[in-house]
Amino acid sequence: MRNVAIIGAGMIPFGRRDEDTLLDMLAYAGLKALDDAGMGEKSVDALYVANMGAGILQHQTAIASSLADRLSLLPAAADTVENGPASGASAIKNGVLAVASGYYDYVLVVGGEKMREVTGWRATDFVATLTHPQTEYIYGITLPGMAGMFTRLYMEKHGVTREMLTAVSIKNQKMGALNPYAHVEMAITKEGIMDSPDSVVNNPPMADPLHLYDACPVSDGAAAVLLCPLEMAKQHPKTAVLVAGFGQATDTHTLAEREDPTDLKAVTLAAKQALDMAKLKPSDIDFAELHDAFTILEIAESEHVGFFKKGEGGKAVLEGKTSLGGQIPINVSGGLKARGHPVGATGVAQVTEVVFQLRNEVGKDRQVKNARNGLTVNFGGFGNNVLSFVLRRVEA
Amino acid sequence: MKEIEITAYKCKKCGKVHFPFHDRCLKCRSREFETIHPKGNATLLAYTQIFNLPWGFDQRFLIIGVAEFENGVKAMGQVKAGDAAELKPGMKLKPSWDVVRVTAGEKTYGLVYQPIK
Repeated sequence: MRNVAIIGAGMIPFGRRDEDTLLDMLAYAGLKALDDAGMGEKSVDALYVANMGAGILQHQTAIASSLADRLSLLPAAADTVENGPASGASAIKNGVLAVASGYYDYVLVVGGEKMREVTGWRATDFVATLTHPQTEYIYGITLPGMAGMFTRLYMEKHGVTREMLTAVSIKNQKMGALNPYAHVEMAITKEGIMDSPDSVVNNPPMADPLHLYDACPVSDGAAAVLLCPLEMAKQHPKTAVLVAGFGQATDTHTLAEREDPTDLKAVTLAAKQALDMAKLKPSDIDFAELHDAFTILEIAESEHVGFFKKGEGGKAVLEGKTSLGGQIPINVSGGLKARGHPVGATGVAQVTEVVFQLRNEVGKDRQVKNARNGLTVNFGGFGNNVLSFVLRRVEA
Repeated sequence: MKEIEITAYKCKKCGKVHFPFHDRCLKCRSREFETIHPKGNATLLAYTQIFNLPWGFDQRFLIIGVAEFENGVKAMGQVKAGDAAELKPGMKLKPSWDVVRVTAGEKTYGLVYQPIK
């Protein structure tokens, strides 16, 4: 297998982008990655497009073919990758395997989703279609609902408190306010969302015990990366980032069938595979982008990856260990919580953020000092399909 | 009262109870199953009260729970309670089979749990 490098990355600001079609957003992000890599008119061998819902939300299918045409990548191979909210990381993994195998040299991976053109209850219903149709979906369960059930169990078993969840929200929105790509650029306070009488109005219950500010927003957005063999990376202008490790694991579709629903086995396995491949321990990681679609997930994933023991992740947030400058900065991008969660884009956006960090490009307010190894977790379904990457800066 | 139309699957080799159906046992990968049906009352394992409802529900909130029947079948259902604060893990629920969703006038039936006080 060949070592694979990321030689270009690009994303567009997430948020509500009424003026853009899904294809517009995918094209903008794709061009940014191509330009970032200095590709000029050089050909790309293959295109992978991560998208979960164009068939439902835009009534549009086969979008990889459309994007290959729009970006004049023809006759490059083109595939759409749909793996729920983990589509982005799945598409990158497929691209990495294609380059590592020696079959393709240049692979462009673009992830995107346009969710704001439907009403909130349509968007909620769309995401809920990843639940089991006969034993979950029919009851009106939503992803926030799944997270609500999980949160109550996790609080009872591991001592997570609402104050800890709120601290995740405050930390990530603070970082989002510094990130020009973030959907939510508004810092919040504990008083505003938890302690004051107004907090009842500001932060209403969403899926008990979770509140509005425990959840990521519904967003439009796209991100892209360009892959090639490490030995060819020197031909390109930017510092290369090595895909040092990756992992993927699955778990039961229905939450009810898990022996211990608080045990996110697929997170543990995917991260372990990625770390083992990179020959690293969790303590060797300098920063991480975790899938905080809900605040509880950042805490639970930080424990399942191995950054903290079970029951210690929430305390770590309160103690500032996961803040910029702390022991292991988590979601210095603002995470899904503030950057937004256009589902097909998220896994690619996480990797893009890590690339920007490893290249020292995010500006002093958000930059992780001496960042060499970054880890991502892209959490599909409710933990039934999870991918993790370990990315490493390639020293010149 | 309508009969609960749920079929669960008990592995003939290792005894693991599955719901929904799997072609191979999640524990031992055997393909031989005995069909079983939820028996007796259920015990509440997990629950939430959802306020942001998906398309197709015209009501203020939904309470959804996962419960375990006396013979080990675990299943999600709607919980009929005025507020999640009325519920506690481990409490007993009486199951029934009732309308859980109406889409374009078409009724979908499923599990509805009533707390036993």
